[in-house]
Amino acid sequence: MSAPADVGSRDGSRVKIHLDKLAKRYPGQHKPAVDELSLSIPEGEIVIFVGPSGCGKTTVMKMINRLIEPTSGQILIDDEDITRADPDQLRRRIGYVIQQIGLFPHMTIAENIATVPKLLGWDRERIAARVDELIGIVGMDPALHRKRYPKELSGGQRQRIGVARAMSADPDIMLMDEPFGAIDPITRDRLQNEFLRIQAEVKKTIVFVTHDIDEAIKMGDRIAILREHSRIAQYDTPERILVDPADEFVADFIGHGASLKRLSLSRVRDIELGSWPTVTDDTDRAEAIAALHASDKGSLLVLDRQRRPRTWVDSDHLRRSDARPLSEIGLPLAVVEPRATLSDTLNEMLTARYSTAVVVGESGEYQGVVDIDTINEAIRGMRSAERGRLRRGFDVVDEVG
Amino acid sequence: MNFLNYLVSRWDNLLELAIQHAIITAVAVLIATVIGVGLGVATYRTERPRELVIAIASVFLTIPSLALFGLFIPVFGLGATPVVVALVMYALLPIVANTIVGLRGVDPAIVESAQGMGMGRTLRLIRIELPLAWPVILTGMRVSTLITLGIAAIGAYIRGPGLGNDIFRGLARIGSPVALNLVLGGILGVVVLAVLFDLLYVLINRLTTTRGIR
Repeated sequence: MSAPADVGSRDGSRVKIHLDKLAKRYPGQHKPAVDELSLSIPEGEIVIFVGPSGCGKTTVMKMINRLIEPTSGQILIDDEDITRADPDQLRRRIGYVIQQIGLFPHMTIAENIATVPKLLGWDRERIAARVDELIGIVGMDPALHRKRYPKELSGGQRQRIGVARAMSADPDIMLMDEPFGAIDPITRDRLQNEFLRIQAEVKKTIVFVTHDIDEAIKMGDRIAILREHSRIAQYDTPERILVDPADEFVADFIGHGASLKRLSLSRVRDIELGSWPTVTDDTDRAEAIAALHASDKGSLLVLDRQRRPRTWVDSDHLRRSDARPLSEIGLPLAVVEPRATLSDTLNEMLTARYSTAVVVGESGEYQGVVDIDTINEAIRGMRSAERGRLRRGFDVVDEVG
Repeated sequence: MNFLNYLVSRWDNLLELAIQHAIITAVAVLIATVIGVGLGVATYRTERPRELVIAIASVFLTIPSLALFGLFIPVFGLGATPVVVALVMYALLPIVANTIVGLRGVDPAIVESAQGMGMGRTLRLIRIELPLAWPVILTGMRVSTLITLGIAAIGAYIRGPGLGNDIFRGLARIGSPVALNLVLGGILGVVVLAVLFDLLYVLINRLTTTRGIR
């Protein structure tokens, strides 16, 4: 096996955790649970371990905080081999969240969050301040929830407290084992978004295990797709995994909706907007009809005086002699903002009567249009850009497997 | 003399016997708790020792008490000591069994998260596992106390303290007018003590468990 992926050198971020030929064999089992896995996890990123059940992804994660002792190999955190460190000291500086949450039922929310700071010997005021800060960070009210017990919270709130508890001593690293797995889909979506918002501020190095590829794509800066015995099938950004799956296994694992999934990765602001013939609200009919004939489109986009898009008008609308301003006739618009994902945009288009979405800026002013062809073009563009990058030899990922 | 008059005239004697009875019961249950929880903690993780401890404590409980007291005379002599030793043996099973059940009943996810946060084995046991198993252990102590209260009365057979003295005195004078009152007084004393101990356990449970696990 050649040197593992050195992600650090590619985009300037430092390697936080480095797994070197990490292996786990259980006595009496012929094949190893984890077979010489080598992987670098860059600082401040969310790295997702995803794979079918039984592939050993949880085993790999639990070796990082040594809940499972590796049979051989090394784990380097900040270039220090932690396979010989005191496991309890190690765990106090690594946040840990599991699917069942595991809050201590006999302790209040505040006591639960204070667990690690107490172990580290923080003084009482510092702990109290930190507890309140964290309850706030995860979107709950300290005054209301501090003294509550876990059984008095909803599932979603418990999960939030689980995350807060893992962050209590401000660890650089967090390990999360299907943290949103046991929560209803709507709450899960909200918790995922909240977590990404928190992560954008705190920039922890996060190892996140899931079996759900959609969650992996949504949450991951980088995804390691693992096959049996924790062999890496592909370790890359979500974009590149979707655009260029390394092999059949990865393609199968992503499933048939790869193109659709890719749409939720890029946003309107990332693609080149189309233009459309426009008229202003107060243009008279003859002038508008002339403009329509001069263009190659079947309709015009009506803007008001602040250049805000109002309606689509076609020749039928214009021929009906009518004194109303143009903004009051015609078809309603599908309007999106630059930060909308292409997936949302497509959804808007399909819902509206006219299969073109109008892009508006902050104050609602017209910026351009997106149509089906633009989206198609964008997907093709992503694919060829990735291919180009691969050909130019930037790829370091293949070496890992 | 009817029973009510008897109680009124002899209440100071009954109270003294009841206090002795309560003390010997409390001492026996406390010693049994220390030994029982210790054995439970030592064995709950491993199957064979766990089964062995339960089996031995079960055998203790099945030995007829009168026979056991008799057997202890040559070893410990007469008085409170052999009674306490025997009572500890009888009180052991409910406490050991409930300690093991309680500790094994703690959700493994809770233990794992404690371990993942850097709590060592001892800390985990003291701060997480024992507090969560405590209500179950307390129930074991409550059952042990009831068993002990009854058996302690028989301790008077080898001159142990407590309400058994009145009962045995009464039984020895069957036929005389005071006999029935002596026996009934002793029985009533044990029943009242049982109720009082039960109330005490409710109070202890309130004071030592948080709202989170009630």
